[in-house]
Amino acid sequence: MKLAVMSCIHGNLPALNAVLADIAQQKADKIYCVGDLVGYGPYPNEVVERIRTLNIPTCAGCWDEDVVEGLNACDCSYPSLLAEKRGMAAHAWTNQEVTPETREFLAQLPHSLHEGNLCFVHGSPYSAHEYLLPEMDAFVAMERVLSTGADVLFCGHTHVPYVRSLDNGQLQIRITGPSVDSEQQLNFTAPFKQIVNVGSVGEPRHGRPNATYVLYDTETQQVALREVAYDYQKTCAAIVEKGLPPIFAWRLARGLEYAEKAEDPTHVCVR
Amino acid sequence: MKQLITAVAGLPGVGKTDWIRQQFTQKPTLYFSPATRVGIDQTRLAAEFPSVQFLADDQQAQLWNLLASGVTAYLELGYHLDLAQIAPILDTRDCHRVAIVPARRQAADWEEWADEIVEGSSTATDATALWVANTTGHVIDPDSLEVFWDELTQGAYGTVSRAKGIFELADGLSVYGDFVAGRKPQFDELNLPRWLEGRPQRLSGIEVWGNQLDENAIAQTFQDCCLSDAAIRHYQQQVKEMLIEEAIT
Repeated sequence: MKLAVMSCIHGNLPALNAVLADIAQQKADKIYCVGDLVGYGPYPNEVVERIRTLNIPTCAGCWDEDVVEGLNACDCSYPSLLAEKRGMAAHAWTNQEVTPETREFLAQLPHSLHEGNLCFVHGSPYSAHEYLLPEMDAFVAMERVLSTGADVLFCGHTHVPYVRSLDNGQLQIRITGPSVDSEQQLNFTAPFKQIVNVGSVGEPRHGRPNATYVLYDTETQQVALREVAYDYQKTCAAIVEKGLPPIFAWRLARGLEYAEKAEDPTHVCVR
Repeated sequence: MKQLITAVAGLPGVGKTDWIRQQFTQKPTLYFSPATRVGIDQTRLAAEFPSVQFLADDQQAQLWNLLASGVTAYLELGYHLDLAQIAPILDTRDCHRVAIVPARRQAADWEEWADEIVEGSSTATDATALWVANTTGHVIDPDSLEVFWDELTQGAYGTVSRAKGIFELADGLSVYGDFVAGRKPQFDELNLPRWLEGRPQRLSGIEVWGNQLDENAIAQTFQDCCLSDAAIRHYQQQVKEMLIEEAIT
């Protein structure tokens, strides 16, 4: 079976439409979305409507959660004061823009989705806000995948796609402490696991405005990263017309994420 | 006989201050840059050359007195000044005029004015708009400064050919930001003590040369990068504790 997995649409309808067209051309059997339907972009309701109409299995992204629950930031949410102010402005705009139907749809999105040996989350299995960065400590990365019971963990949130193989990792744990008679050492051989970050449809951060998503073949376990060009100027114009900060349009046209970025691979989200 | 005054002119970003800086390493003297709304170059040079005398705009009388007493001086003439207007003043003094001209470009425009033509940065370009802001008292979040400076120099608020600024950071240090179109932007820490008691009362500011600058957006974005009183207090306290800890260990 050929799966298409996408993430971080961020209210960018032209980008979503282009990706859906590409998926149809690639003849994928099923589509998954790992969240962030809204936030930053000018078409939050339209994007939700499209996902809902197409009945695409979707898990909740951090922005989707924030629109439903209100902002509740962790250190990883905003790496700078400027990012925080822009994020707050985007949140306020989105919060005002979304219809009750959109909010209701976002509120019922699950944290994770499972299919066979595959698991789908937005950020990490623990939090939609946690970044699984490619440089993340291998032990922590392995722990995150093992906690799902799956072999392949699909995620988004970083807006930069990557595939990380955790190849038959040797795990060694030493236990010491007052309740332990002598030091205990436990060795494990963890089976082959993969983390597949699918990038971003509506707010790329790889230096080009093109939307990215991933195709996964469940038979061959092959991962193919797709990069789709679309009329990003249309989204840029809508950003300005609808009263979002013009800097969002400037950054979108250059494939730069607007505000959020996680640069600390050791950071563990406590949100 | 060597002239007492050296007047230096050229395009924004061509390297006027750097050329004067090189002269300072040989012979510390006096620096004056007339009609600068924010003395960014002066502050930067003063941090590096404490023995050089720097005069502000309102100290012109003192300048002439010092010159009369035989002090050698460097006058940096900003690109916004009309050199024809200044010429009569310079003519009354024994002044050596130096034009810094972009490398591999015609120096013809400067030949009439200058006594000496010096080759400067090849990337300096003409610009029609100048935006200057005195930001003294503002303390900026360093990560926000990085984003702001990237956006500014990459054209998010208009085409920028030259930008420079002195910024006070949350850790009490002061940095000089430098950008000339075609070159990589950079930040250098200034040789100034950490300011850890409230809002810094020493000069900071920004100067941007370019075309079609969105001045409001630049000002607003800079403002969005600045810390509140409470945040400044918090960071200053943290740094003070860190310095005490370092001193003990």
